[in-house]
Formats: sequence, structure tokens, C-alpha cells
Amino acid sequence: MRRLFLVLAAALLPIAALPFTAGAAPDDYTQVERGRYLAIGGDCVACHTIPGGTQWAGGRGIQTPFGDIVTPNLTPDEETGIGHWSADDFYRAMHTGVMPSGAHLYPAFPYTYYTKVTRADSDAIYAFLRTLPAVHNAVDRDTLPFPFKVRALMLGWNEMFFRAGTFEADPQRSAEYNRGAYLVEGLGHCGACHTPMNWAGANDAARYLQGNVLQAWTDPNITDEQRIGLGSWSVDDIVEYLKTGRNARAQASGPMAEVVVYSTSGMSDADLHAIATYLKQRGAAGPAAPSPRPADDAQMQSGAVVYTDNCSACHKRDGTGVEAMFPPLRGDQVVQQTDPTTVLRIVLQGAQGAATDAAPTAPAMPAFSWRLSDQQVADVVTYIRNSWGNTAQAVPASDAARLRKRVADTAE
Amino acid sequence: MTISTRRQLLASAAIIVFSRAAFGHTILGKLPWRPNEVYPPEPLGSPGWHFFTPGEAATVDAMVDRFIPADELGPGGKQAGCTVFIDRQLSGPYGTYEWLYMKGPFPADPLPSQGLQSPLTPRQQYRLGLAALNAYCRGKYDNRAFAQLDADAQDKLLDGMEKGEVQLPEFSARMLFGTVLANTMEGFFADPIYGGNRDMAGWKLIGFPGTRYDYRDVMQNPNKPYSLPPVGLKGRVSADRSPT
Repeated sequence: MRRLFLVLAAALLPIAALPFTAGAAPDDYTQVERGRYLAIGGDCVACHTIPGGTQWAGGRGIQTPFGDIVTPNLTPDEETGIGHWSADDFYRAMHTGVMPSGAHLYPAFPYTYYTKVTRADSDAIYAFLRTLPAVHNAVDRDTLPFPFKVRALMLGWNEMFFRAGTFEADPQRSAEYNRGAYLVEGLGHCGACHTPMNWAGANDAARYLQGNVLQAWTDPNITDEQRIGLGSWSVDDIVEYLKTGRNARAQASGPMAEVVVYSTSGMSDADLHAIATYLKQRGAAGPAAPSPRPADDAQMQSGAVVYTDNCSACHKRDGTGVEAMFPPLRGDQVVQQTDPTTVLRIVLQGAQGAATDAAPTAPAMPAFSWRLSDQQVADVVTYIRNSWGNTAQAVPASDAARLRKRVADTAE
Repeated sequence: MTISTRRQLLASAAIIVFSRAAFGHTILGKLPWRPNEVYPPEPLGSPGWHFFTPGEAATVDAMVDRFIPADELGPGGKQAGCTVFIDRQLSGPYGTYEWLYMKGPFPADPLPSQGLQSPLTPRQQYRLGLAALNAYCRGKYDNRAFAQLDADAQDKLLDGMEKGEVQLPEFSARMLFGTVLANTMEGFFADPIYGGNRDMAGWKLIGFPGTRYDYRDVMQNPNKPYSLPPVGLKGRVSADRSPT
């Protein structure tokens, strides 16, 4: 009887706690844990930590076309962290991109997306951040060159490109779709990377989720487009990819491997399913396929030789790869993106897949920069982009040369 | 634990010793990997001979071309870069037998199964042996060096060296013959990155596919000829051209 009472009490506890979450004290376990989960969903730690450094203490340089922006310390340290911020301050930063001092944040902090996060969710994340051990870590927050270092510029930028707002559910759609929309358009800020940017670094709303190039990585189209988007992926394919870092089609590498490791692999199956449902049902958009390169094209012929000698051992001559180990190139989306940066980069410097609890192997590909010339790299990438039914623009050797210089010293 | 017996003391000591060894290296999380991490083969270095004198190189050129003469099947030892291969090997750790125990005693009449029984490093074998060979030739063939003999005379001389019938002044003819023959074969069939096997001539001769990694695609086609050309560690073409 006593045991039954305890079980009942435990079952009722979270329900009983719910109505009091808003504005609750930091020691409110339920709110803190909800905040911890939401912070995972927002992938906050990936940017607010130097790789290998103290988590949440900031200091990581985020490359933007305007210069590097160093992320702030999110621990509750009074002097160098956000110890003196209130829950209202935190929501204001999330919702409008303005710090307690009144100074503007740059949209490298994706407040343009976080503006849709509800007050309750913002408060939960705040409550969670209050529980972190305070770390004294002063971060130089003014690394941008003039004129971009003038934060007041963001007033004009916000005027042109930003509207603070809350998430509006679409009553025509399912609750699951709307949950996915809330996560993707808000906390998950997927569009921050996966949407093309305009001249001012603002995401181009008209081409939402149609792919982008950032930090010398191609962020692929994640609309339902058939050739270069998620059109040929099922909802379950997407869920498996986000949960484990790989599926039968693809393997997360580069910045997306980080997203999987720090964020999506820690999200609930229900939320991942909602994200996948939203992405699949939102619709397809993207450029029309170019005509494939003819097989007798000089680049295609040279590329076939390079492919046979260097790539086919793992990816197979028919481009089908080895399931769960070497991703297939046939029908792959990243390979066929209009911008070839990621494929070129992986050929030049290699890549390692994400290591998650569900898929801990993290297979890696070695760098080929030492044995392939710029022309050979361009040829083999052109070949991969136009074989086995793939179609994409040819890649000139100058692209490979430029990227070789760009990534020669990158350690991440 | 208080140690009260000799056995306990020994057991504790063993645990300390073995546990230190067991925790020597631990990999946590995912396998280590860095972008741009490459281990390219060492290049052949500057042109010209690194160990041989021009005269020695000419002698070795002549020898490797008798061991593997150019014919309708392909290039000979010299054209395939065997001399370059041997020169670069001698200038590296092989030249001094860096990893071998090189002290005596050396039996006067060792069995072949006893391997090397001499204090002479490969560098010394070539330097002394080639000098002895040319001294022998100059004495016997009208002051001509080995490289200046015609092919028949060279073959006859090498044949005599192999059988132990030719006595070179102050050097074992058999040792010189055996060393150069072994190194010639190594140079003819080693990966082209080491200077020999130029254009993969050796591999093409015997149909060796080279450093391809995976043959499952081929094995699924039984009784069909294998048509791919050989590939070396640096790709399908020889990396470095002749340095001489």
C-alpha cells in the first residue's frame, strides 16, 4: 500500500509542478530539467564553448562574412557571465536581440529565430543556465572590424530584416507539424545555416531552407525537393539521421555532426518526428536540375580515373557505398548541391562522421589533398556530381585551388 | 589493506606494476581523427646521386641492365629506375643496416641459412665491391671498366661471380653479386615512390594491380579479364621522374 502511494505520488509530481513553472526558482527541478532539454534543442552549447574548453563558458569564434564574433560566457558568473541577468533580461535577448545594457546582439546569435521561443521556454532555459557552475571567463566581445563593430548598426539592420514575434500555429496543420514548425523556425534555428543570406547577412525569407554556404561548408537544401533536398528521404530517415548521425543515405559530418552530437541526438523521438514531419510537409523548393555532363566530357573521363583509383574502394564503383559505414554517393543530396564546397572540402581534407551513443563508430575518410592536384579534385567531384543518375554543375579547378588554400590549416 | 604477509606484499606489487601498464593509453569518445592529417611518402629528394659516384652509378646501371635486360616485354632495370632506387636506399637507414646487430663473431665459412655474416654495411659492400669489380675488369679486359664491356662479357663475368668462380681482389664476388641482384629485384617491384619500378614497369610485367584497396567489384565478375592498370601509392602515374 505504501509502495502504491509512492508510485502515485511520483507520477503526480510533474503534473503538480507544471502550473508553477513560469518564473519559478532555479531550484525547481522540473523547470530546470525542461530548460536543460530545451537548451539541447537550441544547440546552445556548441557555440558557447571552445572545443575542448569549459562548457557554456563561451569564447568560441564564430566565422561570419563580416569577421569573427566570439561567443559570450553563459554561466552565472557575476562579472564575466550572465549572473546579473534576470529572466526578463534573458527573454529580451532571446526575443529582441538586445542585452540588458541596451546594446544590440549580432544575428550570429540567432535571435531572429529565438524570437519565436515562448516566454515559458525562455524562462526554463534561463532557470537551467542559473544552475551551471559559475566560471570566470572574460571574453572579448568586440572582435569585429569597423564599421561592423558599431553595435548600433543593428538598429537599422533590425529595422530592415527583423520582426520580433511569437510562433503562430497553423490551424490547418496537425499538432505534430506545428510542434516541428515551432522547433525548426524557433529554438532549432535550422534556417540560420540552411537558408541563403543576402548582402547584409540576413537569411533570405523567400528562399527559406533552400541551402547556403557558411564557414566553407555547404548547408544543403532541406526542403522536400527531390534532387538536392529531403524529397527522397522518409520521415523515419530524417529521424534516424538526427538521432544517430547517420542513416542508410547519409552520414553527418562537419558542422552538422556537431549539431547531431550536441543537439538532435539528445532530443526526444517525438520532437525529432515532429521536425521531420514539418520538413517533409512544408513543400519543395530549389533550382531546376542542370543537364548532366556527357560521359565523353574531358573532366568526366579524368574524374572517372581518379574515382576508380581513389574512391571506389570504399564508395564502390557504382557509388552505392557500404551501409552504415561509407555513405553512398549515388543519389546523394550534398553531392548534388549547386555549391560544391562540402564535397570539395571532404575530398581535400577528409571528414569524420558524428559519434553518438546510438552509432559510436564515427567512420572517417582520409585527406586526399596530398595526392590529388586541383584539377584532379575538380574532375573527380564533377564526376561524382554527374554519375549514376546524379546531376549538378561542373566544378572548375580554380574552385578546388581556392578551397585548398582556405582549409589547409583548419583544425576543425 | 594492511600488508601482513610476504604473499600479500608480492601481490600488491604485481597489481601496481600491471595496472600501470594496463592504463598506458586510453581512447575516450570517438576515434581520434584530424582534418588535413596526411602522411605522404617521403619524396626522392634532390636530383643527382645521393650515394653513388658517377662511376659507381655507371657500373650499377650496367649490372641491373644485365639482370633485367630491356626486351619486347618492357624496359630494363636501368630504365625502370633500379639504380636510383638502390642509390636512395643506400643513402637512407638501409645503407648502414641501422637496425641490425653488426658486431662479431663472424664464422669464416657460414651456412647460407645463417644470413649476413659480415661486418660490412650495404654502403661498404657497394663501395668496396664495385671498386673491386672494376679493378678486376681493368686488369683482365684491357683497362676497361665493367660498364665498358660488351653484354656477353658482362654476362659471363656475372655468371662466374654467382658461381664463385671469379675471384675479385679483396672482396667476395658472391656477396657483391647477391646484394646487387637482390636490390635490383626490390627496385623493380617496389612502389614507384621509392624511385624504381618506373611507370610501374615491374607490376605491368607480372600483372600486379598495385595498391588498390578492394577487389569485391572484380571478384563478382569471374572469368572476365581484369582490365584496370596498376596504381601506386601516389596514384596512377609515377610520382617522381628520373633524378639523374
